Amino acid sequence: MIKKKIVLAEDNSTLSLLLKFRLEKEGYELFVATDGKEAVDLIENENPDLVLSDIMMPFVSGLEVISHLRNKLNLETPIIVFSSAGQEEMVLKAFNLGANDFMGKPFSPNELVIRIKRLLAK
Amino acid sequence: MVDYQYIYDYYFNTPHLIKWVWWVSTILAISILVLAVYLKFIRLSLRKKSNETIKFKSEYEALLIEYLYSGDETGKLTKPQELIVNRIKDSIKTPFKRKLIVSVLFNLMNEVSGEMSDSIKMFYYKTGLIHFAFQRLRSKKWNIIAKGIGELRRFGIDEASHAIAPFINHPKSEVRSETHLYMVNLFLFEGLSFLDNLKVPLSEWIQIQLLETLQKFDNQEICDIRPWLKSENNSVVIFALKLAQIYNQFEVKETLMELLSHENKEIRIEVIDVLAHLYGIEAKEMLKTNFNTLSLEEQISFFKLLEKLVVPDDEPFVEAYLFHKNFEIQLLALKILKEINLDKYMGFTNTSNDKKSLAMVKAVKVL
Repeated sequence: MIKKKIVLAEDNSTLSLLLKFRLEKEGYELFVATDGKEAVDLIENENPDLVLSDIMMPFVSGLEVISHLRNKLNLETPIIVFSSAGQEEMVLKAFNLGANDFMGKPFSPNELVIRIKRLLAK
Repeated sequence: MVDYQYIYDYYFNTPHLIKWVWWVSTILAISILVLAVYLKFIRLSLRKKSNETIKFKSEYEALLIEYLYSGDETGKLTKPQELIVNRIKDSIKTPFKRKLIVSVLFNLMNEVSGEMSDSIKMFYYKTGLIHFAFQRLRSKKWNIIAKGIGELRRFGIDEASHAIAPFINHPKSEVRSETHLYMVNLFLFEGLSFLDNLKVPLSEWIQIQLLETLQKFDNQEICDIRPWLKSENNSVVIFALKLAQIYNQFEVKETLMELLSHENKEIRIEVIDVLAHLYGIEAKEMLKTNFNTLSLEEQISFFKLLEKLVVPDDEPFVEAYLFHKNFEIQLLALKILKEINLDKYMGFTNTSNDKKSLAMVKAVKVL
């Protein structure tokens, strides 16, 4: 069975590792990027089934990643964004750019798995 | 040999100024050389430390994740978890590694919630990191104490409250701030009980931080703030007034009325503002009667209150201050008159002779 690919863009290495462990256990293939620039490269090279992206990241932000995916690559890949408290406006911008869902930090990894499954089932 | 002799002769035959320049140049050259070697050494040691940090961080991150996913539903430590805890227990004896592990734990604790967050807290207990934080509280250095309190707050260790409570009136504001934040973060409104014993001023900055912290929580049921409104510590009274305004404490109106005669002017002004927010009609009549005994700032605050609570009966009072010497009072009086009697206000446009007042009347007209 072919594993579904997920690109995770997150600058917190501990959280990335935790999610990688959890999602690989669920049967997904994870590609981890530590910043937006790496995420864009991974999306272009791996053509993932889903993208998980933090909003605030060094070099290229999560918003730019969404914009690149939707406007330059013209892909409909589902995107879930992670946001921290006080980033409500950024979340709205992310939705306007084409994000499909968002999770406010701190979040439960179990809830994230449920949302991923729901989006990939569509 | 001939060369050395030449240098020797040259040195002894040169003027003193040149000799002095030679000496300074030599000292500078040696200093630059020493500094360059020192810089190289510093850079090497920093690079080594940074590499070590990266190495240990990735090692501890992997161990932590393994620990978090090795648990079972009983809540007790499994065999792999015990092995990881023992390994970490050895590592935390070194302050550098301990600091690194705490930062890894805290980084993750900020990002995840639910069971995972509880497991991280459990890891903090089981590895004995909590004891090091408690040890910090016994330090003689204030910065170490502040860091210890901050760590216990971030990990939500509520049983440390008895050990932290004595720092409420600590001479260093940083320690006090951390103590106050600890209390409110962990015990919400109940945590504000530290205000009962606060003898030192509560800074404006910490007041903002406390209010921000309180607003983060879902439970917005505030406790009785009356004792703090009656506090002998003026900063506590000011803070309680902010609480009264933010949490619409209509039930403390009577206490607020008593505070209108407080000895501190700043408090009296703040009380008028809060009463305006809480629609303190009773205060309006009282302040109107004593208007001339009030300070200028209080008079301005009163007019702001009147702007909110004005009724047609207040017209004669407002009219008496239409051309008050203070700009703000004059402006407020005109705005209030425009609100309650537009015809009379329009009449001023034609009757006023004073150019300045006329300009103000016209300005209020467009507001």
